[in-house]
Amino acid sequence: MKNKLLSILLLLPCVTLFAQQNDSLAAKPCPNDMSLKVITRSHMLGIGGTKVLDTYLSDEHFSGIGFSFLATVERQRPTRRWSTLMEHEANFSFVKDRVRSKQELEGAYNFYWGKFYAWHLFDRRLKLQAGGLVNVSAGFIYNTANSNNPAQARLHLNLMPTGIATYHFQLFRRPVAARYELALPLAGIMFSPNYGQSYYEIFSRGNYDHNIVPTTFVSAPEWRHMLTLDAQLSSRLTLRVGYLGNMQQHKVNGLRQHVYTHRLLIGLTKRFSIIPHAL
Amino acid sequence: MKRSLQYLFKLLQAVVLVTLFSCVDTDERPNTPTGNFEALWHILDEHYCFFDYKQHEYGLDWNDVYNKYKVRVSDKMTEGQLFEVLTDMLSELRDGHVNLSYSMDYGRYWAWHEAYPQNYSDTLERRYMGTDYKISAGINYRVLDDNIGYLRYGSFSLPVGEGNLDDVLIYFALCRGLIIDIRNNGGGDLTTAERLAGRFVQEKTLVGYMQHKTGTGHSDFSAMEPCYLEPSSNVRWHKPVCVLTNRSVYSAANAFAAWMGTLPNVTLVGDHTGGGSGLPMSSSLPIGWSVRFSACPMYDAQRQQTEFGIPADVPAALTDEATAQGIDPIIETARKLLTE
Repeated sequence: MKNKLLSILLLLPCVTLFAQQNDSLAAKPCPNDMSLKVITRSHMLGIGGTKVLDTYLSDEHFSGIGFSFLATVERQRPTRRWSTLMEHEANFSFVKDRVRSKQELEGAYNFYWGKFYAWHLFDRRLKLQAGGLVNVSAGFIYNTANSNNPAQARLHLNLMPTGIATYHFQLFRRPVAARYELALPLAGIMFSPNYGQSYYEIFSRGNYDHNIVPTTFVSAPEWRHMLTLDAQLSSRLTLRVGYLGNMQQHKVNGLRQHVYTHRLLIGLTKRFSIIPHAL
Repeated sequence: MKRSLQYLFKLLQAVVLVTLFSCVDTDERPNTPTGNFEALWHILDEHYCFFDYKQHEYGLDWNDVYNKYKVRVSDKMTEGQLFEVLTDMLSELRDGHVNLSYSMDYGRYWAWHEAYPQNYSDTLERRYMGTDYKISAGINYRVLDDNIGYLRYGSFSLPVGEGNLDDVLIYFALCRGLIIDIRNNGGGDLTTAERLAGRFVQEKTLVGYMQHKTGTGHSDFSAMEPCYLEPSSNVRWHKPVCVLTNRSVYSAANAFAAWMGTLPNVTLVGDHTGGGSGLPMSSSLPIGWSVRFSACPMYDAQRQQTEFGIPADVPAALTDEATAQGIDPIIETARKLLTE
């Protein structure tokens, strides 16, 4: 099994040598219509492992299974190098401590929006994009056993320098696109209770104490990467499979938190154009 | 331009290096008796909020406690033996909010009420309440023979709404005074206690202070934040009030007694309260047991600790003779105060 996998991996670059010029997954410029807008929209479901640590709730590490929904929309005019990317990521996880005695529930919604500049290489088979994402995240970790600290709210805003590489090739005479996206942290702002502060003090008493905290890539080294493979099913529909890893973590106010999610993704991608009509 | 790009590239290099090699994590202690002992001792050492106060009150030294109990722990112990040792260690804190629990037992320190007379009899309560009393959410109430309202609130874990309080106070509108009996009220929701207390203040009133820990050190605390009682915008009580207390008045009920004690028309009658002024939080051990501890200290309006309770303004106690006659001296003392 291992040998087969290795052979496929070694063959991938060779296969791409025979990539045809008319790869339908590759973005083609449309010199006749400057206002043509190409939209690539995908919806994916994911399942995989989640690891949670939140020292406000417990010093114990929790792990378990989680589910995600990821929707991405990329807008680009073929004649321009700039594109816009939007991603909605929602996940929910059930995690337990090492002796499977205590349970936590984790849920989050992440919205990413960003602009990217593209370079096309190797006869447009390789597209490199660099830019940045603004990430807004809201979520919670709920410990089913705790009393006055049963949950931790998660709210943050992050600026994330991001790079994307997309490579188009042919596999078994079908056009395939491999895409890798890596988002790194730069700076942001987040909500956190202080070290031993209760939510009763914050929300019932209105006693704020360093609860809105600026973060950097040192105090919140959060990163996210995604590898996907697109295989065309029909002229309109493309199957997308992949892996999404989201490492959200921070140490602020003497508290440490990490939520690591690893998801195997499957979904559909649709690519279409909006052509404005003259009145 | 070229220099700017160089700086940008260096920044990106730093981001990549720091991010990909940074892991926000903690070292997990092993799930052995020794590992669990260490985990419990450190959780308390870093989060418990009364070390300084209790060192001053009765000489508590948490490092001495470590040395005293460390020798009692071995990796060959059974779960039951470990639980016993750990519960003994926690009892050194003399705190009803410090508990260790698992499926078989609940480790506790209850000397704050078990070592004192109860000063409460449910037989007497039934005699005073009869069978035709009214029940509104968590409140049982009736008007006594001398036109004194009697309100029994046994636990602030039982929520009460603004509508319930309106109905109860309107029912008592023609009474000469009101008795609020919170004996045996072991606490519950602080916001419920606040909602009830808000019916007895006529203006924004300073009733205490609150702090929280800002770090792992025993003295790492935030500034004392004042706690105010806001007058309710619904029905409010203006006549005299007696609040009945005993040693089992604890936690949120202790806070309620402390708040009410600052009001001019309120008298605390009965026994010293049990205390419990640290808002508790929870954590867990490698073995999966839950641990609860006092995390945020609360103080009275004079910035004094109420962890070991507050005295009644007018002390009163149950006696065997009075009980035999069906008389509750604490209720009778309050009735006398309210009718004078």
